Amino acid sequence: MRKKLLFLFVFSICNYWGQIDYSKLIIGRNLGTHTFHDGLQTRIFGFTETLSAATKIPGPTLYLNSGDSVKLDFWNMSQGAPHTIHLHGLDVNQQNDGVGMLSFEVMHTEHGYYYFKAPHPGTYLYHCHVGSTVHLQAGMYGLVIVRPNDGNLLLNWENGESYGREFPLLASEIDTIWHNDTILDQEHDMTMPLYVPATYQPNYFLVNGKSGTQLSDISNHLLALPNEKVYMRLANIGYYGVRYIFPSILEARTVASDGRPLPAEVVNDTIEVLPGERYETFLQLGMDNSYPFTVEHFNLNTQVISSSQTMVIETTFSDVETKENLTFGVFPNPNNGIFEINEALTENYQIYSLEGKKLKESMESPISISDYANGSYLLCYKGNTLFIVKD
Amino acid sequence: MKKFILIVVSVFFYLQSNAANVSIRLVIKNGVLEFNDGTTVYYKIFTSSATFANNSDLLIFNEGDIVTLKVVNTTSENHGLSITGVLNLGVITASDSIQQTFNAPPAGVYRFFDPLNFPYNEYLGLSGVIHVKAINDLTPYFYWDLREHQLTWNESIPLGNSPILNTYQPYYFTINGNSEPNINLDIVARVIGNVGSEVRIVIVNNGLSIHSMHFHGFHAHLLNNSKNTAHEGREKDTFPVYPKEYVVLSFVPDKPGEYPVHDHNLVAVTGGGIYHAGMFTTLLIAP
Repeated sequence: MRKKLLFLFVFSICNYWGQIDYSKLIIGRNLGTHTFHDGLQTRIFGFTETLSAATKIPGPTLYLNSGDSVKLDFWNMSQGAPHTIHLHGLDVNQQNDGVGMLSFEVMHTEHGYYYFKAPHPGTYLYHCHVGSTVHLQAGMYGLVIVRPNDGNLLLNWENGESYGREFPLLASEIDTIWHNDTILDQEHDMTMPLYVPATYQPNYFLVNGKSGTQLSDISNHLLALPNEKVYMRLANIGYYGVRYIFPSILEARTVASDGRPLPAEVVNDTIEVLPGERYETFLQLGMDNSYPFTVEHFNLNTQVISSSQTMVIETTFSDVETKENLTFGVFPNPNNGIFEINEALTENYQIYSLEGKKLKESMESPISISDYANGSYLLCYKGNTLFIVKD
Repeated sequence: MKKFILIVVSVFFYLQSNAANVSIRLVIKNGVLEFNDGTTVYYKIFTSSATFANNSDLLIFNEGDIVTLKVVNTTSENHGLSITGVLNLGVITASDSIQQTFNAPPAGVYRFFDPLNFPYNEYLGLSGVIHVKAINDLTPYFYWDLREHQLTWNESIPLGNSPILNTYQPYYFTINGNSEPNINLDIVARVIGNVGSEVRIVIVNNGLSIHSMHFHGFHAHLLNNSKNTAHEGREKDTFPVYPKEYVVLSFVPDKPGEYPVHDHNLVAVTGGGIYHAGMFTTLLIAP
């Protein structure tokens, strides 16, 4: 009987872990270089997906589907300290929690596996949890985005709300004194103290690894189509508080935090994100060319604002990534002025001219633009925008 | 035998659920707070203990209790004790005492503090946590009183100075006056629970910094949030506790193990420049 039970136990374990839906190689590195907007360079730690990849802040974003059985194969190729991966907010068990002293550390040239399931769609973080005050400041962090179980790229969770595009923003800071070799290369011995500098006075404030003029530079504008509804994944892994302040015209609505829907959505242009928190916010774009917004970093001891930087959402008809997972399509397109959406309509659509003038709003189907001249128009439906060509 | 059990249970519920006359004598004392690395700072507390402690007393009442509070000032400075919206004892001069009887306020969390020389006397330790429990609330609670400490402030304030808040840069971080690993030796703070059994934690920030508390292993249900009542009902793994505010949370562990909880401003998990001798504790969950 005992043998049978043992067999069943081993079989079920093997069977369980045999059903890995998502497997990824992650490499911990200690010898990267980060270049700030003013040209200054500093040493960083970080995570990469390949040995040849450059170490960047933040590390690669991990995209999962809810319910996936996940296996991360973590290699430490850092020529230095042990590292781990803590799956921040994913509520994994102790063995896979990535806290060295309570589970396991991965030494240089060694590797370890992290197994978990991600049951709740949302925005999460991963980071090293060895000497974490030093190793996070050094750059060992990234985002985890869990999508609905069908992998829908344009829906926040199962039976949730759709959007046309998402923008993950991960805030942090760097105090370059903390990046000196004497701090980063300390001997890591669990029986010995790990020291941090006497003060933390960051001199660079980052979003997605960019700072200052990099953030407002046209090459870093967040590109979307006019009238799109976009989904902001707002996270903070730094040691300062962060406020994302959007123009009121974008009607910011925050609907989720830390991977869970809020009991009631919050309509507020300012979203305060404290270290380790994540918020998910809808913005409704219009036809303006650009929507600048502000990112403030503030000191948690004094509440003094240390940095106020500008980022830009730019609307454009070109240079926007092709969307492969639109929840709907239209046919025919091009057309003679009569076309249909390929699903039962559940809300109004809007037709816009390319100049941004709203021509029509209705649930009527088939859709008619027969009264208008031949040319291109925009169809907005469920937060998505599609080009319609009448010829 | 059945009769005996019935009597015991009845007495138990009587004690738990009925208002009582409660007498408390708190002594204001000057002393020294010692951190893990042996560093000491000048400190003050409200205490019922004969000896100096790391933190002011935790006061727990039942709703409807009639409380007689006597505060004795053994220091050479004037002090006071106030509970916002409940009572203010006024100035208690050096070597004097004041006694007042009051009805315990409605169930909830309150702070008591010295309103004189605000916020400096309070910063030096003269503040604490009051929990008024609802009738028949038998849930076990844990209590975290969050604070930070900047050595130069503890030297400067007793000399009559008022340090500039905009330059505040604490170097030690404590829960109930302890840093890691000693937080886990404090039975009031260290969460020991069981899978399937609700855990409740009262977190009060008696410091001056914002603390962003992160839970490993579990999301917490925010029952009360004095700063943002609109946040009540949220499920969070990380949430801020603002200065002079509190959060009451609940969670039901779904798995056993030992899981850290710490401030995710990771400077606050250090103490005296050493990782992780700061605001860091663990939840110990039995199967």
